[in-house]
Amino acid sequence: MDSIDLDQLRHRARVAYEWSRLRRALIGFAPALVLATVASWLGGKPVASAPFGLGLFFAGVIALWYGREPKRAVLPGIAAGFFPVVLTIATMHVGHLCLGDRCTSACMAACIVGGIGAGLAVGVVGMRKHSRFLFWITASALVLCTGAMGCACLGYAGLVGLAAGYGAGILPALFVSGMQ
Amino acid sequence: MPELSKLDDLMKQLADGDRSAFRPVFDLLWGPTLRLCRGMLMNEADAADGAQQAMTKILERASDYDPARPALPWALAIAGWECRTLKRARSRRRETQEDEGPEVTGGAAENDFITRQLSAAAVMAMGELTQADQDVLRATYWDGAAEVSGATLRKRRKRALERLQKVFRRLYGLD
Repeated sequence: MDSIDLDQLRHRARVAYEWSRLRRALIGFAPALVLATVASWLGGKPVASAPFGLGLFFAGVIALWYGREPKRAVLPGIAAGFFPVVLTIATMHVGHLCLGDRCTSACMAACIVGGIGAGLAVGVVGMRKHSRFLFWITASALVLCTGAMGCACLGYAGLVGLAAGYGAGILPALFVSGMQ
Repeated sequence: MPELSKLDDLMKQLADGDRSAFRPVFDLLWGPTLRLCRGMLMNEADAADGAQQAMTKILERASDYDPARPALPWALAIAGWECRTLKRARSRRRETQEDEGPEVTGGAAENDFITRQLSAAAVMAMGELTQADQDVLRATYWDGAAEVSGATLRKRRKRALERLQKVFRRLYGLD
């Protein structure tokens, strides 16, 4: 079988393997694109939310294509990320929270609380799975992209609130994982 | 057998996205795939084509691999399917050529070649059986009377044939 160029065949097989993974990732993550569209539309400011929806889609597809730890982070990341989105959309109808003469947007509180909840959820899943660096990075990217679709309506303040809440929520899990 | 469990582990890693397992998986699967295609297609050039197509298909579907199943039969099932498809395509083409006009090389020579290859494969598979099984099968072949003799010999012959079939399936992936 000297006539068979095994290096070339190996290369062809590798290309087929990578394309197949990419195709599966695109198909597998397509429902998230629908969810992102719905969330952006419900958020009231689709133009502000759309870039995060696209970011979420690309991050998810890359994670699924790559596999291993990032792939395992996709479902927890998306699920936890929808917590701040749903909370923010729900509180949009509440308006402002006032204490005496001081008022603050209920959406801001929802972003922070949602971020904390998402951070705690990702932390619990990550600790249970004894996850490594790439899991934490991927899950965080997905949570922040997903959550930002809801919080983007508040501008930078909403995003900072979400990120701060998420950081506070995930910190204990990262600390415990680091100790182990 | 340790190679098989090693292949299972490597295939599992590759399905999960571990690219470092790609080359070893390829190297472990190439030999059995080529042997299977040779056994099925009975022609060196067709076997090479079939094995190459099969390897591409197996690795394209590596992400679908279910780690609960053994990797080699899974891969050889894909290879078998590819070889059968190639065989069908080649025979259809041959039929079309025959319809268009008489073949230059005789079909009888090809049939003779296929028969010889099949016989060689059967003899090779028989070599994998125990001495007792080989004796029973030889007795059946050389002594026509053995075919109609007692129930014990019939049972022994049936079991030996079943074992031969298993070995043939293991070696060439087909009955």
